[in-house]
Amino acid sequence: MTKTRILNPTRFPSPKPLRGGGDANFMEQLLLHCATAIDSNDAALTHQILWVLNNIAPPDGDSTQRLTSAFLRALLSRAVSKTPTLSSTISFLPPADELHRFSVVELAAFVDLTPWHRFGFIAANAAILTAVEGYSTVHIVDLSLTHCMQIPTLIDAMARRLNKPPPLLKLTVVSSSDDFPPFINISYEELGSKLVSFATTRNITMEFTIIPSTYSDGFSSLLQQLRIYPSSFNEALVVNCHMMLRYIPEETLTSSSSSLRTVFLKQLRSLNPRIVTLIEEDVDLTSEGLVNRLKSAFNYFWIPFDTTDTFMSEQRRWYEAEISWKIENVVAKEGAERVERTETKRRWIERMREAEFGGVRVKEEAVADVKAMLEEHAVGWGMKKEDDDESLVLTWKGHSVVFATVWVPI
Amino acid sequence: MTTEDQTISSSGGYVQSSSTTDHVDHHHHEHDSLNPPLVKKKRNLPGNPDPEAEVIALSPKTLMATNRFLCEICGKGFQRDQNLQLHRRGHNLPWKLKQRTSKEVRKRVYVCPEKSCVHHHPTRALGDLTGIKKHFCRKHGEKKWKCEKCAKRYAVQSDWKAHSKTCGTREYRCDCGTIFSRRDSFITHRAFCDALAEETARLNAASHLKSLAATAGSNLNYHYLMGTLIPSPSSQPPPSFPFGPPQPQHHHQHFPIPTTTFDHHHHHQDVMKPASSLSLWMGGNINHHQQVTIEDRIAPQPHSPNEDYNWAFGNANNRGELITTSDSLITHDNNINIVQSKENTNAATSLSVPSLFSSVDQITQDANAASANMSATALLQKAAQMGSTSSTSPTTTITTDQSGYLQSFASKISDQSNQIVEDGGSDKFFALFGSNSVELMSNNNNGLHEIENPRNGVRVVSGIDELHNYPWKRRRVEIGNAGGGGGQTRDFLGVGVQTMCHSSSINGWI
Repeated sequence: MTKTRILNPTRFPSPKPLRGGGDANFMEQLLLHCATAIDSNDAALTHQILWVLNNIAPPDGDSTQRLTSAFLRALLSRAVSKTPTLSSTISFLPPADELHRFSVVELAAFVDLTPWHRFGFIAANAAILTAVEGYSTVHIVDLSLTHCMQIPTLIDAMARRLNKPPPLLKLTVVSSSDDFPPFINISYEELGSKLVSFATTRNITMEFTIIPSTYSDGFSSLLQQLRIYPSSFNEALVVNCHMMLRYIPEETLTSSSSSLRTVFLKQLRSLNPRIVTLIEEDVDLTSEGLVNRLKSAFNYFWIPFDTTDTFMSEQRRWYEAEISWKIENVVAKEGAERVERTETKRRWIERMREAEFGGVRVKEEAVADVKAMLEEHAVGWGMKKEDDDESLVLTWKGHSVVFATVWVPI
Repeated sequence: MTTEDQTISSSGGYVQSSSTTDHVDHHHHEHDSLNPPLVKKKRNLPGNPDPEAEVIALSPKTLMATNRFLCEICGKGFQRDQNLQLHRRGHNLPWKLKQRTSKEVRKRVYVCPEKSCVHHHPTRALGDLTGIKKHFCRKHGEKKWKCEKCAKRYAVQSDWKAHSKTCGTREYRCDCGTIFSRRDSFITHRAFCDALAEETARLNAASHLKSLAATAGSNLNYHYLMGTLIPSPSSQPPPSFPFGPPQPQHHHQHFPIPTTTFDHHHHHQDVMKPASSLSLWMGGNINHHQQVTIEDRIAPQPHSPNEDYNWAFGNANNRGELITTSDSLITHDNNINIVQSKENTNAATSLSVPSLFSSVDQITQDANAASANMSATALLQKAAQMGSTSSTSPTTTITTDQSGYLQSFASKISDQSNQIVEDGGSDKFFALFGSNSVELMSNNNNGLHEIENPRNGVRVVSGIDELHNYPWKRRRVEIGNAGGGGGQTRDFLGVGVQTMCHSSSINGWI
């Protein structure tokens, strides 16, 4: 042993502070102070902090800087909407990237860049397949942010069940909302027709239905349609909710004791579905106070920015543009315009239980499939199985990202 | 969000042997070397190291030394930085502190110790330590790792592992040319790929029954009887050859006359009614097939209506599906699918990771608690303060007026009673924040006067995504040794960070 040096880990050896590298704590504090300044109409302070933030967090810096830059933009947007005169004084930010409009093939590749979506796909499909055993018709209602990207593998898995004829597959979706990303460049009619061709090549008979319905009223027309829908003998109703229920207004928006979210789940329960899968991001973005909301958002959205190190530049731009869109929605918008109302796993589980659903554990085989899939991605991805609430949680560097839960009526 | 905000205990010291660290010990070069380190070589051939970088030559022994990466918390050693990062996670550091300390030295590049090697010369040094290690091993090392299935031998264990995972296993190739290593990505792509649409449209357009025997080269493994679909389980795998004519699996007796469960759509763009589905014309069009004989040719079809695996390695899947190798109406002679993947999709399927954890080394400030409750003024003050203690910076031509301005800026927002830390090193503040290109107002006049700062030559190189082009796990492309660390040659020290805010106009600002 030659030289040794004692290091105090709380004090890193170099006295050099940030030199373009970002201290996330520091940035967070600045952002929070800026938020307070904006909401208390302190234009001067707002301006000052924004300017400093812009210096320490360039939009093309490291992931923490890009994260902070996205928040900076959002705060700027909020400030400008409150004080329009501010916009002339703060023009140092280049315009934000436009959101890409994906072809379906592009979107298919995009959703597999990280396990973010595939995690939920695998868990949900496995649960669905188990649940629909023995049914001759399967009616899937796909409420998914990913425009049916989960379906091809489900179709394929159904087709591969040997020694039994595959069921008739009915797929119902709601009309595509163009209110939040990702955006696609074809109509749902076209998309559905592709899926049907695909199903046919797998020897599955499939029907595709689009029901005009919107998140903003809790998908009430969808539920109505499903109520009057004539179901065949031995038909299983499957409702797959993949990062979509967050858009249904909840108590902070509909300020009644019974929010649209609650109503939706109750009505869903009354349809007596065979199985409901609920996959969402594990973060609370519903706080009415901006500072709390920003804090939650900052401590969550660092994750997608952190995962894009492996992406190619174009993909990363697209991806981060979408996250930035969400950040702006959470930070700068209020009322009905603020659509990103994600809630935590704990809260969703509470809701489901209140609506008389019981949690079902995902099978070991599916867990193994998820693990195998994670192996193919960057080392930071992991997964945990929570025994007390039967959920599966996708993690990034140990932090919860997405949870997957499966429910049956009880 | 479930981060635990644990403060790292500072009790006790952490011993670290400086002779083997790469990160903390900034000025120690590992020098059992053949050559003294050379500096400032001119950039030569493309892909060459940054001329500003410091060239390091390690002996073979040192190069192969293990456990160069030490955890600063418990002192455990690791062979690879990524493993160290993984280990550090276990210490439950809050994510904000998980960023690594920034390197103080210039970027390092490494030369190969083998004299006869092209990378021995500093101008051809490789940017990454792992890269040079692997290179040395691969080129000049003994190939002691042997694949069990084929004859290949490898000197680097990870290469061997990566190969044996894929050797003989499946790859999935779509007719459009994109290759996937994961089945579900392949399936999802397949469902939406235009190749599928084109084929079914073509088949639909034909709209008459064809004798299926004539197109027995096609790839369906189920029988159609009139009006019903009966999937037939395949009893044996197809002959395993990647290219060339497979034997027909089954003969199709009939083509279904549409029953009430199908609606005929000849055009896949028809609006979908609730009960609509496309029927598949199995026979296809004879005239689309250039060579259609049963026995010894594949009918090259643009698209197999069934699973379109191209088995690059000749393994069968358990459904006994046929291998389609033709991408378009090409002849039998050219059954090999040329991978002309579209840039997007191909790019999308290969993950690339320059470095996994904290590719930007960052200094963190004092422990979380310190900054947790600071007021806005204190924070801004702190920013100014930090500027004063920063001791290196890329050269700037910012006048002290501007920095003075910033100091006074800090003072304006602080309480009158607060002290502003003033000192002469005020231009460091800008270097600190990399704000070289920010327009600032001079403090000279009270008027609104903008100064444009020339940019210095240092740039963030986070844009070099071309270098990111090597896959993280063994997607499909082999990891070349040259590109070295790929993205690791980028500037993750943040040395060259520079804001791009060209038009910071502070008109009207006080």
